[in-house]
Amino acid sequence: MTGLSRFAWRSLRARPLRTTLSVVGIALGVAVLFAALATDAGIEAGVGRTVDDVMGRSDLRVGAFEEQGLSAASLQAIRSTSGVALAAPVLEQRTYLQRDPLSTPDSTAEAYAAPVTVVGIDPTIDGSTGGIHQLLLASGRGLSPGSSSAALVPASLAQDLGLGVGDTLTLLGTNGPVAYRITGLLSGEGPDPTVGGRSVVVPLAGSSALFGARGASWVDIELADGGTPEAVSVALDQSLTFEPYVLSDRADLAASLRGSTVGFQALTALIAAVTLFGGAFLIFNTLSMTLSERVREIGLLRAAGTTRGQVHRLVLVQALILAIVGSLLGLVLGFGLSILIARTVGSLGDQGVPIDGPAVPPLGVVLAAVVGIIVTLAAALEPAIQAGRVSPIEALRPAYASRRSMVSQLRWLVAVVVTVGVAGLALWPIALGPFGLAGSGPDGGGLGRPFFVYGVLLVVTLLTPLILGPLGRLASLPFTIFLPAEARLSRGSLARDRKRTALTVGALTIGLAMIVALGGLAGSAHAATAAWLTDVIPGDLVATSIRPIAANEGVAQQLAAVPGVAQVSPIARFAVAFRGVRLDAAAVAGRDLASDGRLTFVAGDRRAALVALDAGGSTVVPQAVADEFGLRVGDTLELPIGGGEAVNERIVGVIARGLPGQSGESVLIGWSDATSHFGVLGADAFAVRFAPGQAATAGPALAAAAQGLALEPTPLSGIESAINDAFGQLFNLFDGLALLAVLIAGLGIVNTLTMNVYERVREIGILRAAGMTSRQVWRMVVVEAGTMGVAGAFLGCLSGVILGFALGGVTGLSSSGGGPTIPWPTIALAAAFGIGVAMLAAFQPARIASRISIVRAVQFE
Amino acid sequence: MLVTQPILEARDLTKRYALGESTVDALRGVSLTVKPGEFVALMGASGSGKSTLLHLLGGLDRPTSGEVILGGETISGLNDNDATRLRRDQTGFVFQFFNLIPLLDAAENVGLPFTIAGQDPRRGEAADRIQDVFELVDLRGKEHHRPDQLSAGEQQRVAIARALVNRPAIVLADEPTGNLDFTTGGEILEALWRSCAERGQTIVLVTHDAKAAAYADRVEVIQDGLIRDEIVLGRRADHTAAPLIARLAQLGL
Repeated sequence: MTGLSRFAWRSLRARPLRTTLSVVGIALGVAVLFAALATDAGIEAGVGRTVDDVMGRSDLRVGAFEEQGLSAASLQAIRSTSGVALAAPVLEQRTYLQRDPLSTPDSTAEAYAAPVTVVGIDPTIDGSTGGIHQLLLASGRGLSPGSSSAALVPASLAQDLGLGVGDTLTLLGTNGPVAYRITGLLSGEGPDPTVGGRSVVVPLAGSSALFGARGASWVDIELADGGTPEAVSVALDQSLTFEPYVLSDRADLAASLRGSTVGFQALTALIAAVTLFGGAFLIFNTLSMTLSERVREIGLLRAAGTTRGQVHRLVLVQALILAIVGSLLGLVLGFGLSILIARTVGSLGDQGVPIDGPAVPPLGVVLAAVVGIIVTLAAALEPAIQAGRVSPIEALRPAYASRRSMVSQLRWLVAVVVTVGVAGLALWPIALGPFGLAGSGPDGGGLGRPFFVYGVLLVVTLLTPLILGPLGRLASLPFTIFLPAEARLSRGSLARDRKRTALTVGALTIGLAMIVALGGLAGSAHAATAAWLTDVIPGDLVATSIRPIAANEGVAQQLAAVPGVAQVSPIARFAVAFRGVRLDAAAVAGRDLASDGRLTFVAGDRRAALVALDAGGSTVVPQAVADEFGLRVGDTLELPIGGGEAVNERIVGVIARGLPGQSGESVLIGWSDATSHFGVLGADAFAVRFAPGQAATAGPALAAAAQGLALEPTPLSGIESAINDAFGQLFNLFDGLALLAVLIAGLGIVNTLTMNVYERVREIGILRAAGMTSRQVWRMVVVEAGTMGVAGAFLGCLSGVILGFALGGVTGLSSSGGGPTIPWPTIALAAAFGIGVAMLAAFQPARIASRISIVRAVQFE
Repeated sequence: MLVTQPILEARDLTKRYALGESTVDALRGVSLTVKPGEFVALMGASGSGKSTLLHLLGGLDRPTSGEVILGGETISGLNDNDATRLRRDQTGFVFQFFNLIPLLDAAENVGLPFTIAGQDPRRGEAADRIQDVFELVDLRGKEHHRPDQLSAGEQQRVAIARALVNRPAIVLADEPTGNLDFTTGGEILEALWRSCAERGQTIVLVTHDAKAAAYADRVEVIQDGLIRDEIVLGRRADHTAAPLIARLAQLGL
């Protein structure tokens, strides 16, 4: 380091606290950015791995629509289709384990209680050593064609159940319990990674004992050499006419997996941008403060012949040193943070995001570091230009006053922040591009909302100096009551440098705004869940079955006979094909929905539509489906039912929310059509409504009756809390990230207060000489911070509520209704946290202030 | 015969500063008494120790040895909080640099001792006293001017008003005219003298300027950390510096 660069380095070393704060500020911003990129790359890797696990070596998947699955004839037709080398049928069905309390320890009870997914495979095609689906054995041996009662389980599940190779496992089938002998333990999570390792693999032949004569849930196809997915698709269209099916390839699966992550990625990107925004303020403030503090030195350098360019370089070299050290530290912190994020989102199970761990995207490393450096340098430009304008004469005056007005400085800052924001948001997809991500979904692709959020935060920050006077008076009110002298004196200090105070309060505002916005989103998501369930489920409780229960079995009647039960409504979930796309469908009883007052109709006559549903030939579609396909009441859905035939269902109503299906909301079909056209054999769930006031007494009797009928009763509140738990974990993670932004703001407050203290050493001396105790000085600085905290909390909470409403759409988390929610508890917590952080940040500056020597202060020039 | 008790007494004060690895004796055993209503000037060249002595007398700093007794209370033995309260109630300071809080207007600056004590300077006796001192320093009508709207002399008169508003036992002024031109400096000294002559305010003034010191009843000449001489001028309506200058010349200063 030579010449003026050495001055830059010395200048940073002379103020270790401020330098450290700046480095940490940059590091935290870069850390969140890098963590977001590494998490996105990890998700992409997770998507790739999940596709491999799910599809094996197959290129195409033929999925069944009907509950009976794909028949043997269909399998044969697929195998004989030209271009198909190998076709592996798979049956997948959820069921429960039966536990023998005498032979298994109590500690395994929980592992037995949760459902498992039975995966039936053809051992002649798939197995431990080859085939389309690779089943890697940890111990034991694989399935053989002859052994229909053999089973493979993941080693982790076996351990949870206290079982090993050679032990017997009993599964509940449609006709009662069926015993299997474990012949091998699988390494990893088993063939279906989406069920969290709770799968049991049995030969396809053995699965008929469990679930009766059902066909394959899907058939995975490996193409012959020279075969293309397009050609095979056309050929299948001709040959596969027995049942309706849906064809998907690896890209379709990857896209559907990614679809669930778009909202998550949009939020992490936004939080990263906001954190950097706060970091930029911190740098801008730090370097501006350094300038006003060292203006005489700069004047002397100018008098000694230093050119403007050299002064610019001096400031920019300082910024560069801060940027490089901060960015490197940020990358290390960011990697740690991404591991934490991966663990959190990876543990969310079915509700979560496919991720094994963070990946280190080379472009992401470069982007995070470059953005960190650019943001720092951009924030340093204005102070550098100001430093260059310092004239030797000006510098030697007792008090240096910048010639530029606050408005022109803020205008300059706006330009920097907008440029950085636009560049950052535009670069985001480029950084993810090589991984094929780039928020390709309908929500993530639109950068409008992130820009809007960025804009709102910017406007709030820029408005702050204009309203600082009244805001300061308002914010200091709570302190005026208890500490009037300190409040009066500290309020004036806030107005000393409006730009600095505005940026400091602004940084706190945006951090708190994110927390409140996330709280609003979480509240909306919770409200949406509750509203969805209560709007569409005609009952207080849902009893689910592992097998379809036909109407003539009398199960509904037995449940209805339980005293206190007012209504039992059967529901079956299945799938239909529409315009070549799989759609979730539900068979429902229109009269039950009508009498129970469920469903909110946005188009069509409610009563007439529900009557028409039961009569047949009619369907009711959710708004989301209607919007996706541009459907209206009166349109007809042409739904293929196999054999080259199709059923026409006329849309008689559009509802705000439909029953939840596998991948979206379900279209409603009447029971008569479901059983006669779509192969629905029976109900897989019963919605039970208790008579008013009878829930408490009828509940246990109903539960007992349900269990006697091999049904699993779950109250709506249970379903709701399970969904909310998953939301809660996710939002806690986002809150954690937003807290980092508040932490950066805290560092900014330390910086600003320290500077405020140094700038008025003589004033503090006068106050001490005039009789202010050191304790009062300490309190005055803390009150100053508290006032900033209250102002930041007020603006942060206000803008957070606005952002919460706006963000509802970016994530899709609250798009299911429920309306906007003002998260009062979050607002209270965020405000308390912001004020607390601000006052805590005042500790060191207050200490410095209270220890100022009066004698030195009054001699201080 | 009625013996007037001193309002301020310094006994054998020493003050030693560390300067790198060496030490500097700023005061080397100074004793001084000030009676109520007296106007005393501490005069000496730069570095003689006069400002250090003033800081010790006002409790802004602690002596290395010796004691300061203000209004019967040993201020040099008090802890920081008690010394601060004694300072607030018994003393008023005027410094060389204008020492006003730039964000407060003139009235708020003058009312600072009340504000710090938790009183509202806009109401009751505090407000009356503020008006009273504004009149004394001839600044009526400028109460709501901010420091940057006042001339240098007016700013210093505001500082004097602040020092007087609490009716302290003693006002300590450290080179209050050092930063002002001759005419303005004269106005400041007149204001101080008036408070002493008309209201019996005790004043200790530090200066290196014989013309300023000539306003005092008594001048203590300080040299190398010791009181070299005491020149009694007496209470005079005119403040000619000739007798003082003549005496200083005799001393070879």
